[in-house]
Amino acid sequence: MEKKSSSLANLFLLFIFFILYAPIFYLIFYSFNSGGTMSHFEGFTFDWYRELLHDTRLLIIVLNTVVIALLSALIATITGVLGAIGIRSYKRRQTRNTLLSLNNILIVSPDVIMGASFLILFTMAGVRLGFYSVLLSHVAFSIPIVVLMVLPKLMEMSSSLEDAARDLGASHWNVLTKVTLPYIAPGIFAGFFMALTYSLDDFAVTFFVTGNGFSTLSVEIYSLARRGVSLNINALSTLMFVITVIFVVVYYYLASRSGTKGANLRR
Amino acid sequence: MAKKPIIQFNHVMKQFDDDAPVLDHVSFEIEKGKFYTLLGPSGCGKTTILRLIAGFTEATSGDILFEGKKINHVPANKRPINTVFQDYALFPHLNVYENVAFGLRIKKVKKADMDAKVKEALSFVNLKGYENREIAGMSGGQKQRVAIARAIVNEPAIILLDEPLSALDLKLRYQMQYELRELQRRLGITFIFVTHDQEEALAMSDEIFVLNKGKIQQSGTPNDIYDEPINRFVADFIGESNIIRATMIKDFLVEFAGKQFECVDQGMDPNEAVEIVIRPEDMEITSVEQGSILVTVQAQLFRGVHYEITCMDDAQNTWLVQSTKKVNIGEKIGLRFTPEDIHVMRLNESEEDFDRRLDAYGEDENNAK
Repeated sequence: MEKKSSSLANLFLLFIFFILYAPIFYLIFYSFNSGGTMSHFEGFTFDWYRELLHDTRLLIIVLNTVVIALLSALIATITGVLGAIGIRSYKRRQTRNTLLSLNNILIVSPDVIMGASFLILFTMAGVRLGFYSVLLSHVAFSIPIVVLMVLPKLMEMSSSLEDAARDLGASHWNVLTKVTLPYIAPGIFAGFFMALTYSLDDFAVTFFVTGNGFSTLSVEIYSLARRGVSLNINALSTLMFVITVIFVVVYYYLASRSGTKGANLRR
Repeated sequence: MAKKPIIQFNHVMKQFDDDAPVLDHVSFEIEKGKFYTLLGPSGCGKTTILRLIAGFTEATSGDILFEGKKINHVPANKRPINTVFQDYALFPHLNVYENVAFGLRIKKVKKADMDAKVKEALSFVNLKGYENREIAGMSGGQKQRVAIARAIVNEPAIILLDEPLSALDLKLRYQMQYELRELQRRLGITFIFVTHDQEEALAMSDEIFVLNKGKIQQSGTPNDIYDEPINRFVADFIGESNIIRATMIKDFLVEFAGKQFECVDQGMDPNEAVEIVIRPEDMEITSVEQGSILVTVQAQLFRGVHYEITCMDDAQNTWLVQSTKKVNIGEKIGLRFTPEDIHVMRLNESEEDFDRRLDAYGEDENNAK
């Protein structure tokens, strides 16, 4: 009985994953189609990828996307880590929870609203839409994610570790760099990679705040798709998917490594 | 008292918000090179005293002096004092060598000196050759040793130990008691040890401060505190004891359980209400005829080294007796004790008055000789 139901459950799980991944693999499959349409497969080709590599405009956009992702993730990580340390420093539980809630609301609030409000803010403040507006908004929506990844690690750290470092002669700066940061490093890396992936595949916010000829991949793919179906998009999407998968794998590797370390500690 | 105290507390008070003070005008002196223990139940303020000495927290009022200089506002990293924490507080991202070398690296000690010092510290705690071990893979006892090595390698004037043995199992705890005591003797560093375990305190200390509710109840050598507790709290907290209400008829004569007994205490008012303490191991089980008091056995437990026997006398006082002899429940037995076994405590006597009274009749004894 038990065996039967569990195999049924597995089947269901496979089915769900199939539904979730089928469109992506369908898209990936036709990126190798020499026919030029997604209706029937004629023959295997790398033409679309080759074309992609020769499209300098698109390459610049890829570069833009990567630069925005790296920069925004970096700035958001630094700010988010400081923010998490700040939140922890509040002794009162209520203050801490309020701050954390304010942080979490930003994560769950719809991207469209975030994008629209950034647009209003930038136009009112007179910021030209382009690289900096996109960077700023990416930093803004990445910070809460970093805080969320770093804070549990910080909370888990016993305060006696910092006392011990002070006791051994460390200045506040030494405590931060030699004890606190190394301890929460797995959380920081996880936060950085999360911010990176969020930035890489963000569409809604970027769509609102971009302009002046500046574009990122997701926005570009959207406009290409609107103009008409080209298998260029498939090739590009495939590459993006692969890159995202790599990031996720790296993230889980780091997370699991820090997890086993924690388990050892408890032993 | 010719020696200058290394740490001195003058009416130190510590209060959080509007709660009752954690420390209530505590004053004491700590001499160099001795093993001190702060003993008390949880919440008595012993850890707060430790944190004040370490510099992790500041006193609400009062002065804390180190070698005669006020250090109230000196931060923890500028004090020649190191702490061994209850949870060891070893840095999990560093190996044993780096943990021990942490303080030396901050002081920018030369590599060769550092190697030598770390090696020496590790050999002091019997962890030779453990330099490259990771903290996560070590047992509780080993972590404990690393924590001690990390403290002694800085050659501090004082080492503070915050219930360092409480997480260890019984056998290891006994072993560490010997090792700590031995270590303190060899290094000659002042140790201030915090514990709620009276056995630990009695076994290791040169001097014990018994604390309760933010006040020092009594200070003295383990023998003083065990044999002459100042009040019910100390008598009850340190070891097993029979505490019985009594009346001091006159000097050297006390009445309890409906009988008058000769004792060695004096200096109280005639017919003053007092309490007496007799330790369970000081009483001897004898026949009904030979007993100082007559009791009925109510319960008996085998404790390994002895039997623990609970009895009741005719005045409804409960007596705890330790004996290697077995008795029968319901049996009437005699308990014999000598005048020296009876210790009389005045109610609400301050430590100063207690010491003065003890000193006074110490002189009397000398005069008599």
